[in-house]
Amino acid sequence: MKYLHLIWRSLLRSRRRTLLTVLSLGVSVFLVATLQSILGTLDGFAHNPDSANRMVVRHKTSITNVLPFRYGDWLRQQPEVEAVMGLQWFGGIYQDQRNFFANFAVEPEYLVPMFKEEVRGVTEAQVRDFVRDRTGCVVGQALADKFGWKLGTVVPLQGTIFPFTPRLTIRAIFRGKRTADEMALYFPYKHLEESIPRMKGKVGTFWVRVRSADDVPRLIERIDHHFSDALEPTYSETENAFQLEFLKMLGDYATMIHTITAAVLAAILIVTASTMAMTIRERTTEIAVFRAMGFTGRQVLGLLMAEGVLLSAMGGLAGIGLALVTAGAVRGNIGTSIPWLSDFQLQPATLLFCLQATLAVGVLSTFIPAYQAVRRPIVEGLRSL
Amino acid sequence: MTTWLLFLPLIPALGWLAWAALRHAVPLSYNWRSLWQRKVATLSTAAAIAVVVAIFVVVRSLSQGISHAFVSSGRSDQAVVLRANARVELNSTLERDQVRVLKADPLLARDASGVLASAECYVIMMLDYADGTGGTNVAVRGLEPAGIRMRDRVRLVQGRWFNPGLWEMVVPARMAWRFQGLRLGQSISFAGHRWPIVGVFDAEGSAFDSELWTGVEQLMQARKRDAYSTMLVRLADPDRLPGFIRQVDADKRLKLEAKAETDYYGEQTEAGKPIQVLGNLITAILTLGAIFAAMNTMYSAVAGRTAEIGTLRALGFRRVEILASFQWEALMLCSMGGLAGALLAQGFNGIQTSTVNFQTFSDVSFAFTITPGLMAQGVAFSILMGLAGGFLPAWRASRIPVTEAMNS
Amino acid sequence: MEAIITCRGIAKSYYRGALEIPVLQGLDLEIPRGGYYALMGPSGSGKTTLLNLIAGIDRPTGGSLEVCGYQLNDLDDDELAGWRALHMGFIFQNYNLVPVLSAFENVELPLLLTTMGRRERRERVMEALGLVNLLDRTGNYPRQLSGGQEQRVAIARAIVTEPEILVADEPTGALDAKNAEEVMALLEHLNQALGKTILLVTHDPKAAHHARVQIHLEKGVLEKTIEVNRPGPA
Repeated sequence: MKYLHLIWRSLLRSRRRTLLTVLSLGVSVFLVATLQSILGTLDGFAHNPDSANRMVVRHKTSITNVLPFRYGDWLRQQPEVEAVMGLQWFGGIYQDQRNFFANFAVEPEYLVPMFKEEVRGVTEAQVRDFVRDRTGCVVGQALADKFGWKLGTVVPLQGTIFPFTPRLTIRAIFRGKRTADEMALYFPYKHLEESIPRMKGKVGTFWVRVRSADDVPRLIERIDHHFSDALEPTYSETENAFQLEFLKMLGDYATMIHTITAAVLAAILIVTASTMAMTIRERTTEIAVFRAMGFTGRQVLGLLMAEGVLLSAMGGLAGIGLALVTAGAVRGNIGTSIPWLSDFQLQPATLLFCLQATLAVGVLSTFIPAYQAVRRPIVEGLRSL
Repeated sequence: MTTWLLFLPLIPALGWLAWAALRHAVPLSYNWRSLWQRKVATLSTAAAIAVVVAIFVVVRSLSQGISHAFVSSGRSDQAVVLRANARVELNSTLERDQVRVLKADPLLARDASGVLASAECYVIMMLDYADGTGGTNVAVRGLEPAGIRMRDRVRLVQGRWFNPGLWEMVVPARMAWRFQGLRLGQSISFAGHRWPIVGVFDAEGSAFDSELWTGVEQLMQARKRDAYSTMLVRLADPDRLPGFIRQVDADKRLKLEAKAETDYYGEQTEAGKPIQVLGNLITAILTLGAIFAAMNTMYSAVAGRTAEIGTLRALGFRRVEILASFQWEALMLCSMGGLAGALLAQGFNGIQTSTVNFQTFSDVSFAFTITPGLMAQGVAFSILMGLAGGFLPAWRASRIPVTEAMNS
Repeated sequence: MEAIITCRGIAKSYYRGALEIPVLQGLDLEIPRGGYYALMGPSGSGKTTLLNLIAGIDRPTGGSLEVCGYQLNDLDDDELAGWRALHMGFIFQNYNLVPVLSAFENVELPLLLTTMGRRERRERVMEALGLVNLLDRTGNYPRQLSGGQEQRVAIARAIVTEPEILVADEPTGALDAKNAEEVMALLEHLNQALGKTILLVTHDPKAAHHARVQIHLEKGVLEKTIEVNRPGPA
């Protein structure tokens, strides 16, 4: 530790160079940290532990086809089943297409039992109001905050898939675990059925809550087998798998992000190696002087490596710091286009990876020029001016 | 087109540099040789810039590919008629009598086979990937023969068009090898029938390259539907298109709306917005990093050559010539990286990928197309980086006094 | 006085590919403790090479070297480094101070190699700086010092570990006459008062004049030895 001032001061030799290197490292690490965290956040949705004992039943052909409502009765008869709820994606627009949020028509009496973990803070009285009022609805706190809605506010939605414009009165506002869960609106199924004749007796999906997560695979098989010959065959999967299907729709985002990450890390390595090589070459004489004074080759190597690692660590920390500071902005901006990202969070595993990567870059980029410099005979180093 | 705005400052800057090189004695060969004397620094900075430019080109190609898939799908003399507020074909229904009324409209164009109007049906079906990794939703469009004639960008490459009265399908070439059962001569099972594939077409990367086509009546029968989804019409006189749209919108009996075909697809590119925004963000951030790196290299170059610069000044070169000289050096460095990056991006050319149209949840495939135009943009971008990153160090160099030539 | 430096049959050649270029060819030399020797000769005579060998920063291709009681050929690189830290002080033509360290920190550098604590290091540094008369400049950086002052800091650095021998390669080469005189006076003081053995390589006859023995080398061979008759140990 007595050498610390030497190492630190060496970085200040050329303040400009150190600053520029730290900046370009920092910017690159910030990008990698943010992109990988985006992947991590999205992944989290497909691996939600709370979803373990829920599954989704939909039409085998496509999510856009409908199933008969009476399937729900058969589902409720299954011994493993705790609750069943019909759910139809409504896809209505509030004022402007840019105000996009998820809205669904559901069987109101089963909403809370089904989503015990996600729909919380709703009183019994509010649930009763919701069930009784055909034109009522339940919204999440985050959504209510966004538009300044309160209990009793009337929310008009413009149907896109279904040609009608329900005017829904907020009967309850719930709190969930994630912001994404709170950006949703639910209204009673009967309202949809009454307004759209072709939806009478039909629904898009059934959500099923099972007593124990272990029962899920068995139940999935039984359901799909039971309805396999029907006119509307089913396809059942766990809630996580269902989410995953939607995520997969985002296509090769994962590949694109991993490719960019690899490319950026390679670029960082090249740039830092070049900087360290330049720096070390300029100190050829000084290195020889140190060794003449009595520093062993290993000691000098250690000092140079420490300098390189310190430089990259500074860049890495700067990048992580920048990512932390802008996380909120990222959430706000991209969170509106890609709904899952309204819960965007920097993943600790990602930040750790970034730190490790920058340290590795520091070591790798410094090692070769430092080793070469130390191997050079002292007299050669002294001779070169 | 905001990229062109970005390139605007290039013009005066390059103009000045060119003028400086011609009018004054800027020692360009000296700069070129100096770059090669510091091989490690030059090559590594150029490599970093190559990476950034490659990413820039690929991201823009992605962006373009997405826009192309939607926008180029339409003609400016054709209109799509949908149920009011339906926004996408999937959500729209059109009754038979509405279709009859529209087909009789005198504004529509006609050709030898009849009026150029096609009542169409748009549904989604599930198909399995050829590699067995599962499946996804794909769009199926039922159309009338007029619909094929109206979409003249679509060409048959194998087999023949479907026969309107039979259970037959034609598929896009791009999809034929990605999904099971879509090759010519094979067949797929859908809505309780077998549909042999009788033809393969190419829609030049437009939206139609992600759709399976068949006869509209057959499709409706199979899906037990009595109503169409939409109608595509062509106007005899393209200038009457806005009028036609107003007319349809105003008609209270019909409760329909019409959109210019180009607009209809244009609106759908909203789906690609997140990718584009993300892509631009990534590029912007990386550019900043690359500019810092280039600045670093140039500052080092200047610092290491103070004696040389002093000598140049002693020889009679003026400050402005030194400034131009080092600015040129930065340009040379960065454009080397730019060229390398553009070539690197070529490696992505032709790679097929797909995303999902969030409105219909169906597969949209497109290919990365690295055009010469995009590559040129990449190089222009690297020149921009060279100007930005090189300016301050060049300014520094120009301020080095003559006396430095004497110092060691 | 016993010899502190003993060279027997010292030879050094450089190799360019397969070509051997001999610089020193079988040189014998003895330098007593407390001696003040100047190595002189035209360029290419091998004087700097001899200095480097005695200082332990280069190895001979033939012959043996005993310095401060150690057979240098028996020491490996790391041991040689440690030996230099204890027994050898270096003074260069271009001072070679670390630009980002203050005068104090520059002088302290060799002490970091020892196990001394901070307080003890501080005492030694101040002592050394006092000896070279720069106590008022401990916090200054090299760029804030004149050439002469920089060299004096370098000398302080060279003596802070109390080595027996000081080697100097053209110590006055970058200095004006006045500063050169100051530096030479300092070296003489170190030799006379503190008994340091000093080995100097120089072109400058005025600097050589301060030494008590001048060794002239020509083409790697000892040509003549001139003793300057001055009081003090021979």
